[in-house]
Amino acid sequence: MQTRSHPRPDFSIYYLSEQAVTIGFGQEIAPYLLNAVGGFNNLLHQQPFPGFCTTVPAYATLTVFFDPLIVVQSAIPGADCFEKVSAYLNSLNQRGKLNEVIPGDTVSIPVCYGGALGPDIEEVAGINKLTISDVICLHSSVTYTVYMIGFVPGFAYLGGLDGRLATPRKAVPRQAVPAGAVGIAGQQTGVYPLKTPGGWQIIGQTPLKLFDAMRSQPSLLKAGDKVVFSPIDLQQFNELSSR
Amino acid sequence: MRIRIIKPGLLSTIQDMGRSAYLSQAVPVSGAMDSLSARIANCAIGNADDAAVIEFTYAGAELVTETDLLIAYAGDGAILSLAVGDIPCERPVFIPAGSTIKLVNNPSGSRTYLAIAGGFDVPEILGSRSTYTRAVIGGYNGRQLQAGDVLNSIDQLSSTAKNILKMLHGDYPDYPNWSLARQLLLPTDKKAIRVVRAHEFSWFDKASTDAFLSTPYTLSLRSDRMGYLLEGTAINREVNTELLSTAVTPGTIQVTGSGSMVLLMADCQTTGGYPRIAQVALVDMPLCGQLKPGDAIYFYAIIRQEAEMLYIEQEKKLLKLANTVNSKFL
Repeated sequence: MQTRSHPRPDFSIYYLSEQAVTIGFGQEIAPYLLNAVGGFNNLLHQQPFPGFCTTVPAYATLTVFFDPLIVVQSAIPGADCFEKVSAYLNSLNQRGKLNEVIPGDTVSIPVCYGGALGPDIEEVAGINKLTISDVICLHSSVTYTVYMIGFVPGFAYLGGLDGRLATPRKAVPRQAVPAGAVGIAGQQTGVYPLKTPGGWQIIGQTPLKLFDAMRSQPSLLKAGDKVVFSPIDLQQFNELSSR
Repeated sequence: MRIRIIKPGLLSTIQDMGRSAYLSQAVPVSGAMDSLSARIANCAIGNADDAAVIEFTYAGAELVTETDLLIAYAGDGAILSLAVGDIPCERPVFIPAGSTIKLVNNPSGSRTYLAIAGGFDVPEILGSRSTYTRAVIGGYNGRQLQAGDVLNSIDQLSSTAKNILKMLHGDYPDYPNWSLARQLLLPTDKKAIRVVRAHEFSWFDKASTDAFLSTPYTLSLRSDRMGYLLEGTAINREVNTELLSTAVTPGTIQVTGSGSMVLLMADCQTTGGYPRIAQVALVDMPLCGQLKPGDAIYFYAIIRQEAEMLYIEQEKKLLKLANTVNSKFL
């Protein structure tokens, strides 16, 4: 493996609420920051502090939620909860190994492109002067990276869309986009986990459930995972949907 | 204990103290918009703080008691009323089977919480009984209550609830002469909301931040359990750096591209990309949970240390209140 040097991630902590602080690692969307956020998130889950509740990883931040009533009683040095949690996180950061690589899962998402399930694929092809099969090929030949989960339950912010597929949002958003719809908006691509209104260009649909409250991990994807879209036909879509 | 919904009112949902374990999968917290009222109602009948309650929006709902009930209610959206008269709030109330309870108007706020001894029995989904209608999870089949819905309480009663029932029973509504006086836990000015300056506060120009902390803002009609759109002096940016999406939480005040502010509430998304001007102090979130479109509010800045101190003091008061109720019924 090459050992390309990256800028050392920041580690600056700011107040979000009485129950949360946010650690800023940098100001860009980049794999080394994904690793810094994910690596520290793992470390914190392995070595939590008294009163630790949960975290929310994002592009370049990790937000740490806690119970102030427990933190304030703890022996961690500091005059208040913000100081105590900050002191703990700073010392954990100094003790811990930086940029520990997190092995995410690789998830294959079958997609039925075009037709009734991908009503905007011709528009995407037209705007980008491509054929429909070019669009399918370009969209399904890349390995995407999940940078964060946000917006609605199970929605993954994916990095890696081929620039030739970048397409502006629809001028008039749809009242309802079905769950599983695969779309493009600007430089982003993603899958709608729930039926919601939306303005993305819909190029296909997956029969997989991106979010299911009955699963032990309700969100199919998590930050750090890799995603591959694999084309299926309508018959396969219907078979997989009925399972 | 069992009730049946006759009229659901505008928006009635089962809520508890929310769902915090799945924020990283973008599952919102949800839970009671006015958590203080929900906790007071639970506390009055010896329930745990996070027992499931019904959150009613304004008046209009109607329900019938299919068994004898031990209930308590709190909030500013309505008064609960029986044929024989109004039910007093913030205290345990025994109501015999076959009674009709109507929510009648109480214009000071928007939401009212009904607690039942044991808590409402709906399945716990992802660690909470709160309804999040957008993903159809929690509460009663993931949706708002409808006419005909039958709701049971959990049979397991606390010893406090059992002891209250020994005192209050019979063929007529009955209640003690004390109440929990929620108002003593709230500031006198319900329209003054304390905030802590947020991380991007300095991204806005001085005229805007001055206006934010001195002029009134009005809740627009585009206000719901996700958030409130605030109308008032526009907030202009001085720093035009793009904010990468990062975690937000109920109480976060975001400034949109057009310069208007959105106060995020219980069902808000877990991450956002708009710069944040302030964070509402947790102790004032119950006040926000009672606001309705057209209400004008002012924001006052406090430092984070004060917000934390206020929160810890409030929690201690609530703990003491619960201990007082429990010790009354040992």
